[in-house]
Amino acid sequence: MRGTTNPRLMLMILSAVFAFLYIPISVLFALSFNEGGLPTAWTGFSVKWYGELFRNADIMGAALNTLIVAVISTILATILGTLLAVGVEIRRRKGRFLETIIFAPMIIPDIVLAIALLSFFSLLNVTMGLHTVIVSHVVFNLAFVCSVVRARLKTFDWSIVEASTDLGASMFTTLWRVVLPVMLPAVIAGALLAFTLSLDEFIIAFFTAGAGRDSITLPMQIFAMIRFGVTPEINALAAIVMTVSVVILALSQRLNRGGLPGQ
Amino acid sequence: MTDRKPLYLMSPALAWLTAFMVVPCLLILALGFFRRGIYGGIEYTFTLENIALAFDPLYAGIFLKSAWIAGISASIAVVIGYAAAYAIAAAPQRRQATLLFFAVLPFWSNYLVRTYAWIVMLNREGLVAGIATWFGYDGELPKLLYTESAVVVGLVYNYLPFVILACYAPLSRLNPEIAEASRDLGGSGWTTFRRVILPMTVPGIATGFVFVFVLSIGNFVTPALLGGGNFQMIGNLVYAQFLTANDWPFGAALSMFLIAIMMGLLTLQTFATERASGAGREE
Amino acid sequence: MNQPLLSIKKAQKHFGSVRAIDGIDLDIQENEFFALLGASGSGKTTLLRMLAGFEVPDGGQIVLDGQDVSHIPPNKRAVNLMFQSYALFPHMSVFQNIAYGLEMEGLAKAQIKARVDEILEVIQLGDLARRKPDQLSGGQRQRVALARALVKRPRLLLLDEPLGALDKKLRGDMQLELKRIQHEFGITFIIVTHDQEEALVMADRVAILKDGKLLQSGTPREIYEQPGSRFAADFIGVMNFFPVQSSGGTLRAQDGSVIQADAIHMADGPGVAAVRPERLRLDGPGENSMTGTVTATAYHGLDLQVHLKTSAAPDTVVMRLTADAAEARPLSAGDTVTVNWAARDTRAFAD
Repeated sequence: MRGTTNPRLMLMILSAVFAFLYIPISVLFALSFNEGGLPTAWTGFSVKWYGELFRNADIMGAALNTLIVAVISTILATILGTLLAVGVEIRRRKGRFLETIIFAPMIIPDIVLAIALLSFFSLLNVTMGLHTVIVSHVVFNLAFVCSVVRARLKTFDWSIVEASTDLGASMFTTLWRVVLPVMLPAVIAGALLAFTLSLDEFIIAFFTAGAGRDSITLPMQIFAMIRFGVTPEINALAAIVMTVSVVILALSQRLNRGGLPGQ
Repeated sequence: MTDRKPLYLMSPALAWLTAFMVVPCLLILALGFFRRGIYGGIEYTFTLENIALAFDPLYAGIFLKSAWIAGISASIAVVIGYAAAYAIAAAPQRRQATLLFFAVLPFWSNYLVRTYAWIVMLNREGLVAGIATWFGYDGELPKLLYTESAVVVGLVYNYLPFVILACYAPLSRLNPEIAEASRDLGGSGWTTFRRVILPMTVPGIATGFVFVFVLSIGNFVTPALLGGGNFQMIGNLVYAQFLTANDWPFGAALSMFLIAIMMGLLTLQTFATERASGAGREE
Repeated sequence: MNQPLLSIKKAQKHFGSVRAIDGIDLDIQENEFFALLGASGSGKTTLLRMLAGFEVPDGGQIVLDGQDVSHIPPNKRAVNLMFQSYALFPHMSVFQNIAYGLEMEGLAKAQIKARVDEILEVIQLGDLARRKPDQLSGGQRQRVALARALVKRPRLLLLDEPLGALDKKLRGDMQLELKRIQHEFGITFIIVTHDQEEALVMADRVAILKDGKLLQSGTPREIYEQPGSRFAADFIGVMNFFPVQSSGGTLRAQDGSVIQADAIHMADGPGVAAVRPERLRLDGPGENSMTGTVTATAYHGLDLQVHLKTSAAPDTVVMRLTADAAEARPLSAGDTVTVNWAARDTRAFAD
């Protein structure tokens, strides 16, 4: 395409788009270090809002909840999603229905899944709390893990499985000694993706966490803080949350050169 | 390997998806046809009232408004995203991966935080107002935050990276000789773009548009945070039925419409991709 | 001679520190079928793209019909290119692909239709007009690409490795087909190829490029029979090389024997003497003679290739015997033979 385009115009477009994408985030980062805490005036560099953040019991409690949800749902989703991916790829016969079910959690609007789960849990009289959030997060997380692992398995040479069987290995040994090592980077990449999705997920958690204050996750806390009275700590919190997900996902992408599917 | 073993591997995940996605979604479908109980519960008698209520001018208005906002947001996102993707695809090969990485990076950060960033930007004391003042504007600034435009800006901002990704895919796969062939046959730069490059990259545009539209029309976070208290889109309406008004059957009926719109658009997108047959494929 | 259709004058093109085109001078006449021959990286494709207008020369001129077109963009030149990948528009039918260039000229619909139908007739694809490119075979796509460029009736048609993507059988047919079409339309063709056989079979004149420079140009016969350099001799056809030391016009091979050559393109010092396999004779006339052992024979139908090991050359010497000659004197591995060849068939080059 080079040679048929105007380089100066392309540069202008890129500058404008990157400015649009990065200025708001940068402002937030800068603000988190602003002594005064207000966007109106720069009163000096300070990390005091980060200090405030760590003294805020509500925020720390929510952060702990989020961590619990993310860790457990990631472990479950990684196991289920990996097995699913291997099963689907071994099966070779592609079922349209099966594909739809696996694909659905990634495209279904969050709000729909959220209310569906809320109705489901309430009609079964399940007491809602962190456990229901975990169960719900596994639904979309396993789909993402599955899609990352499947992408890797697409280029997997299945004849090595036959070779392993031919050499006398059982199905389990073959999976453990041959298949898993080859796809381990993809499994880890999928797990990291699931972990950040779970860390950042708000809508489904909001509907399935129940009413108790002790099952509030970090995104729920952030939503409440934004909606009902912004305090300067939120800038520091925003900066941390953003950095954590970006770092983990960058790591995930490094591990998995095949690239991540869109969120 | 026999065909049995894959089933053992798949069954835990499929059981999970069935129990916690398929069944709850079917439940929503069913709920939409039940009557609302007197004290907010559900009365298990069949009715079409909820479906009919969705066509009530009040709610139909909200539907149209949501579709309008989602359509505007998707259109703007596609125009900006396509231009950005085009510029990235036109950059030297070795820089493209880096540019794409940084274009998608914001997408990986927390949605709420990204939306919050625009509250900071559009606030009465925010950066945009600050810049206007700095340029010597001292009159009363129009209200920026808690407006329809703020919601559109927020939606475009949040979903732009995805559109860039979706449009970049077919653009980068384009055989450069095809654009050159058009030039060689007498086409100007603009003609080449309009008649060759654009039609061949329609699938990316369709994917980007549908994605932004679907996620925007059901969104309730952005309207709630950037649109202010009185601003309602379908997402907020559904939210209200479940969490405040306690009219679950009506909320379920509304989300059935959401799902229908989503499925309709996805079908349309598949159709658009198939129609541009061979487009984007390499020779 | 009249004014040439195309004059390339001292053309230069650099990419960074690489000199892709390093001062090329070349004239091409109206109605010629011209081949640019070279290995990859020789600059042949850059030169072609320069003629089409996709590269602007850093120095020198491209003169078409007496007018300097160096800075005229591709869409304003009466030059069309048939791309190596064919570059057919995948979203347009065969008809639409071919009509595209005529639409750009602003012709009336009826006129466009007439001209497209006419060219579809020539390439015998009339009944496939509504197909999309991905529903065509490789050979059909190639013909559509040709028609799309030809239908504009350019002054100059450029073809970038036109037969590269076809299988061997189809290539042979298309070589003749291209020649027929060129003849029929009377348009000047410039073809870029790395395949020397293709260049020799099709072209009226051939130019050999190496490292951005023009090594030699001439008719296929001249290029084959009178190569001007060791590279040209090696690049075209099969050639036997004998390393020699030259002193005062006498060439001495590594075993001390003297080789006589009429054309000597080298000064005193090390070099090679070169002779084509078909110029070697068994016990025939010729100033040069050499004894060798047959190591292998290979039957090629029309002729027999004989591989010889001699003390005069480190590499195997190849000899081609006609079927008659081979029958008159049956050979098998291990036989010792004496071969002769003439001084006028021998050329010497610097290393």
